[in-house]
Amino acid sequence: MSKKTMTLNLTEAEMAALEALCEKKQMSKTQLVRQAIRLYQKVDERIEDGGKLFFENEVSKEKSEIMML
Amino acid sequence: MSVAEMPDISPISLFDPTAGSAVPAELWDGITDKNLGDWEVEWLPELLKRLRILHGQGVARSKWPQSRLWDWRRKLQAIEGLLANQCFSIVCNDMTQAMMITDLTHRAKLDAKQAAHLVYVEYLETAPWNRKEIIGQEPRLSGCGSIMIRAAIELSKEEGFQGRVGLHSLPQANNFYANQVGMEDLGIDKDYQNLRYFELTPEKAEAYITKGQQP
Amino acid sequence: MKIKVKEEWCVSQAQLEAGAEVGAGVIALDPTFESDDAKNEPIDDSRVALQRFVELSRRQKNLSRQQLAEQADIDLSELEGIETDMHYMPETRTLYQLANVLGVSQKKLMGLSGLTQPKDVSYVEEAVRYAARSESISRLTPEEQAALDGLIAVLSEK
Repeated sequence: MSKKTMTLNLTEAEMAALEALCEKKQMSKTQLVRQAIRLYQKVDERIEDGGKLFFENEVSKEKSEIMML
Repeated sequence: MSVAEMPDISPISLFDPTAGSAVPAELWDGITDKNLGDWEVEWLPELLKRLRILHGQGVARSKWPQSRLWDWRRKLQAIEGLLANQCFSIVCNDMTQAMMITDLTHRAKLDAKQAAHLVYVEYLETAPWNRKEIIGQEPRLSGCGSIMIRAAIELSKEEGFQGRVGLHSLPQANNFYANQVGMEDLGIDKDYQNLRYFELTPEKAEAYITKGQQP
Repeated sequence: MKIKVKEEWCVSQAQLEAGAEVGAGVIALDPTFESDDAKNEPIDDSRVALQRFVELSRRQKNLSRQQLAEQADIDLSELEGIETDMHYMPETRTLYQLANVLGVSQKKLMGLSGLTQPKDVSYVEEAVRYAARSESISRLTPEEQAALDGLIAVLSEK
């Protein structure tokens, strides 16, 4: 599959966050951004289908809703 | 990828046990109309025919979980265009021999706190004529399962997931995943039709890839 | 995405794999037949009556299943299904043929099988009562003969 190149302009804070995530996940910046796109697309699709994204506390089973902006 | 796009093709080899020789084949990084057509026209009738014979012989299949036929086309339509899913198929002698759907948005259960990404095998199936238990004799071609797991590992490495792979094995396949592939058995998953869940660590993934290679 | 994999690796793994089951995910589960799923459904008494009638008649005539299947010009697997699997649904033609060979009403036999819903269920109830008297051994006991006589009377045209 052919690949396309783009330039990404980030603030210092955004770049720091990206680098921290890459370090934590042992992934390159490209890999991380591609994964972020996958997750975003998947979440967006489910929300468009009428779903809601929740986090659930494993212990208390309490759910808190996340709003996608 | 959409069914209209041509997949990337990697040359691979399968094994013909009757001839005792390797057979050139192709790994496609997608499931196309051609593969779906092969499933509908060739796999399904053969599978149903074989299952009826086993059923008539009273072969105990009670250890298999119960299920109705899955609507393949609906499943493929549902994931069309989603980057989260990467599909693969193996084609040999112009016939689909195996298919796999993976999902890249799952997290590993091993060392769960790490929340590491992995390639989750949502579906893997080989053609009925390649399944010894179904046909009661040597398969036409063997090696599809191994190639597909290899593909999942390579995908995992390419995406930065270090070779981690996870899947829910069908009961009769537990032996293959536990012993031949060397996956960790995380036990029966009661939230997933009581299928056994397996994971491949980065170390085990590397061991699997380098298996049989001369030092 | 492309992968590079050596032929030696492919062949050595394929030889180990040797046609083993490798299916993963619920999508890969094999289809089942109605009778598999129906294992947990309650068995209809009338269906038992059908089984008893067919088996008793056959044994009274001293026929093997193969012989009865040939005489009735039906598939052996159909006969085996009727006699051994209480959830097995025989074909219409099979019951038609059996009714002819065994000398009873086709309609009534169909009603027992569950293929049709009989308008008058009293004969079904009677058949069930007779069927309950018999037990399955190779020679017909006097009880079985009496049960069979009762079943024949119930299932005849008049």
